[in-house]
Amino acid sequence: CKSKYEKLRASSDTAKKYREAVRLYDKKDYSKALGLFDDLVQKYRGTAEAEDLSYYFAYTNYKLKDYTTARYHFKTFADTYASSAKAEECRFMAAYCFYLESPVFSLDQENTIKAIESLQLFINLYPKSDRVAEASKLISNLRDKLEMKSYANAKLFLDIGDYKSAVIAFRNSASDFPDTKYAEEMEFLTIKAQALYAKASLEMKQEERYNEAINLFAEFAKNYPSSKYLKEGEEIKKNSEKAIIDVKKLIAIQEAEMKILQDKAKAAEAATKAKSAEETKKEETKNK
Amino acid sequence: QFGRTGTPTPARTTSNEELSYLNPKEMVIGGTTITGTEFLDKDVLITISKLTKGDRITVPGDATSNAVKNLWGQGLFDDVKLNISEIRSDTVFFEIAVVERPRLTRIELLGLKKGEIGDVNEKLNDKTGKVVNENLLKTTTDIIKKHFTEKGYLFTDVTIVQRKDTAEANNIILDIKVDKNDRVKISEVLFTGNKDFKNKTLKKYLKKTKEKAIYKVFGAGKFLQNKYDEDKLNMISKMHEKGYRDAEIIKDTTYRTGKSTIGVKIDLYEGPKYYFGNVTWAGNAKYSTTVLDAILAIKKGEVFSEKKLDRKLSNSPGGDDVSSLYLNDGYLTFNVDPVQTKIYGDTIDLEIRMYEGPQYTINKIMVKGNELTNDKVILREIRTKPGQKFSKELIVRSTREIAQLGNFDDTKTDPKPININPNDGTVDIEYNVVEKPSDQIELSGGFGGGRVVGTLGLTFNNFSARNLFNMSAWKPLPKGDGQKLSIRGQTNGKYYQSYSFSFSEPWLGGKKPIYFGISAFTSLQSNGLRNNDINQQKIRLNGMTFSLGQRLKWPDDYFQANTSINLQQYILNNYNQFIFSTGNSYNFNLTQEFSRSSIDAPIFPTSGSNLKLTIQATPPYSLLNNKNYAVATDKEKYRFTEYHKWKFESQWFQRIYGKLVLKAQAQFGFLGIYNQAVGQSAFERFKLGGDGMQGFDYLQGSEIIAMRGYANNAVIPAGSNPTIAQGSGSPIFNKYVLELRHPITASQTATIFVLAFAEGGNTWNTFREFAPFNIRRTAGVGARVFLPIFGLLGIDYGFAFDKIPGVPDNGRNPFTFSISQAMNGGFN
Repeated sequence: CKSKYEKLRASSDTAKKYREAVRLYDKKDYSKALGLFDDLVQKYRGTAEAEDLSYYFAYTNYKLKDYTTARYHFKTFADTYASSAKAEECRFMAAYCFYLESPVFSLDQENTIKAIESLQLFINLYPKSDRVAEASKLISNLRDKLEMKSYANAKLFLDIGDYKSAVIAFRNSASDFPDTKYAEEMEFLTIKAQALYAKASLEMKQEERYNEAINLFAEFAKNYPSSKYLKEGEEIKKNSEKAIIDVKKLIAIQEAEMKILQDKAKAAEAATKAKSAEETKKEETKNK
Repeated sequence: QFGRTGTPTPARTTSNEELSYLNPKEMVIGGTTITGTEFLDKDVLITISKLTKGDRITVPGDATSNAVKNLWGQGLFDDVKLNISEIRSDTVFFEIAVVERPRLTRIELLGLKKGEIGDVNEKLNDKTGKVVNENLLKTTTDIIKKHFTEKGYLFTDVTIVQRKDTAEANNIILDIKVDKNDRVKISEVLFTGNKDFKNKTLKKYLKKTKEKAIYKVFGAGKFLQNKYDEDKLNMISKMHEKGYRDAEIIKDTTYRTGKSTIGVKIDLYEGPKYYFGNVTWAGNAKYSTTVLDAILAIKKGEVFSEKKLDRKLSNSPGGDDVSSLYLNDGYLTFNVDPVQTKIYGDTIDLEIRMYEGPQYTINKIMVKGNELTNDKVILREIRTKPGQKFSKELIVRSTREIAQLGNFDDTKTDPKPININPNDGTVDIEYNVVEKPSDQIELSGGFGGGRVVGTLGLTFNNFSARNLFNMSAWKPLPKGDGQKLSIRGQTNGKYYQSYSFSFSEPWLGGKKPIYFGISAFTSLQSNGLRNNDINQQKIRLNGMTFSLGQRLKWPDDYFQANTSINLQQYILNNYNQFIFSTGNSYNFNLTQEFSRSSIDAPIFPTSGSNLKLTIQATPPYSLLNNKNYAVATDKEKYRFTEYHKWKFESQWFQRIYGKLVLKAQAQFGFLGIYNQAVGQSAFERFKLGGDGMQGFDYLQGSEIIAMRGYANNAVIPAGSNPTIAQGSGSPIFNKYVLELRHPITASQTATIFVLAFAEGGNTWNTFREFAPFNIRRTAGVGARVFLPIFGLLGIDYGFAFDKIPGVPDNGRNPFTFSISQAMNGGFN
């Protein structure tokens, strides 16, 4: 036997369906209301009730946490009934649904970017709205998330020992987010990564790369004279300078050894030559 | 569609001033009226038109054209016209004339089977609520006809009857009668214009378009338009490949030859056969002509083939083409264009023009589409790093590493170079991934030993332990860190219980790819009596394993080293199926494993190899404890088990023809002793034969090796006592497999392949008797189905050539079924 609700769904009494759907919505029985609204949307197209209906329909989806569908219906409402008193609210809600669908920083940020775009669009369309302040705050939260992602992914390269990549990634992050709150830390980590990169390099390349780290630190110390990283940076600088001296010595020794070997080789060559010359001489004398 | 009758330009009706797009005017709307409505609300239509009274607009302009567009967009009308009814100075009055149309309630398909109705409805794409007009009727007819034409019913009749819906005003039901008629077969395929190519050869090129014939039982002779179109392209490309580079189809027709047969006639231009002439290079600075000539490997006088040229220049499956040479070395914008400079007679001279471009360095690496898996899990597997030179090869390798994670649909992983910047020579690489379900559930009830046995197993392949207490990350479980958690329980009540747990983290500490795993299990088997009952018989097994694995950079970066510590405890009480019946026994061992894996896919590999060397050893207790093993009881002897065990396994995959893949495998295992007096270990022996599934043989840590065609554990050393040898297993084994595999489908939901195999293997009691090529042989066929939530299911039929005397049925068991949840590293 069908329940009263199912009978109503099957009936074609649209007016009664609409009243019941609104009643269910007010009673917070959203999933039942959704079923009725869903049936009515087709039937009410082009009628006087269509505007309120699509407003309810969007909110029902929103309350059921189906933000993807809700966002679509809020946007459709704002586009279709641009002159309606509720258009501003719906435009905002459409963007807010994107905001709610933006995941943690470590996942794909497609919805974050879309949320920023649609919130910005809202601000442009309704610059005098009461909701502008909230929209700006939401945008700032979303930007923080992107900053965090950029910072964390750059730091990953440092963690897993890809120092050269880390240096590049930190620089990219700093230029993508010029006013990032991670600026100081990232600049310091760049120095650290650069020094580690130098250490892992071939001896011939070390001096140049350590010098780069030392230069980066000089700049850092100038930009952040009271940084908490100064002490550690100083240490890196000292170690780098020492490493340069060591590697220079090493190269000098290697070159000296090389020279000795070369000299020996030359001497040996000369000796063989002399010997063979002598032998030829001997041969000659013999032959004589 | 709306442009057909809608007129965005307002028709001038009352004013004598000229209004046109060349002469728009700004005006105030004085009012808008709607005419022609029957069922719709006029006010709402005015709202939708957005021609609101009092608004200031340009006439004609965006507002007037949008009004018509918006109303059309509702899909309610057959016609919308915007007229100007009056103009008073700068005030304009609009009249919108609409023609309402009945709307569609539903479509009823008659004359079709249930399944067909479903398919057709899907193609018709739910037109409910649309206006019923000529266009709707025509597209509906066309869609249905096209649907059946594709299936070979070329002469489908469609008749549509419109019926008023009594339940709703202004609505219509369409009754569509479909008569498919007979499926069309091809009675003849004719060619004209061919001289060098025989009719027979050309017919062979049309792979799916064949004449019907009595001897062709399956499907042959059907005419399918889309297959036919493919076949025509295929035929021409085959002709081009044979040097006939001018070959083309001049005309092709299909004509009716009978009630349900058609003929196909293809008129060809064959053209002459061409040969390669001189090949010269232009634009190459990085590599010399000699190097490039060697890669190209085309000699003067060879039959001209566009396809070969393309393969050698840019599309070699093995990556040994000219483009790869450049693309793997940073030359991202490298471009090669073979230009036919001279054609004399049947010879073609080529100049291969190249643009090398700058060498690009990778700047940013981005991941998109990871809706569940955290960035770091993917990023740390990627081999293309910021600061490196661009390399196609490394991108391919990265894609493979991402596939190995098992969390993504490997057919949809799509790496793209973006933001190509020729000024500073940098490029970003974006890896697009698509998540796929990777969790496995095992829930089964079975009948074993006269009792119902229930099993529940859960495996989560993308677990995140650090989010265990972060409720917002539960969806439905904390996910995204690439860790693996599995729990499994099996019980039939008080007689048998077994529980196991395992957890692994692929990057311990997050800095190095160090694999860490911990697993534990406990199981109990008894006759159901209580612990204090003197007749109680029971065995309890407890075990724990810690393992650490590390990828090695030497000899190459496909190598991996694994170390594990295992501890097993056996507690026995009146248990008579073990070496002794009451007491405790311990097996404590250290295992070191070296492996190398370069296979390209976990489930159906088509290239690459697996190698594994395992050494397992217990401490040599007997050399330390001064026990007299010559007189010791079994209980004393086996309190602390001692042995050392060596295993070598190798596997190799190679695509040999088309999609056919050859798998070759060899395995060897040996169990050794420290002390002659202690004798062979009763633990960790090898049991060869059957499906390779672990049953109750884990009691002595026996290792089960599959060998199809034989019964479980049936392959015993020649001359040994069958009952004892089957129960205990053997200390030495080897096994060889050759298998041909062919895929049936490889989709996200299922991978299916069929195989034919030949296997050989044997076991020995002592190293003196060991003869690696004195093997028992078997051959047969089988199939494998991989379903993401079940794992790999297999069925094989094998015929065993060599009898094993003393074992029931001579050890033969033609059918074997197998289930394996492990996706890779399996050597069965």
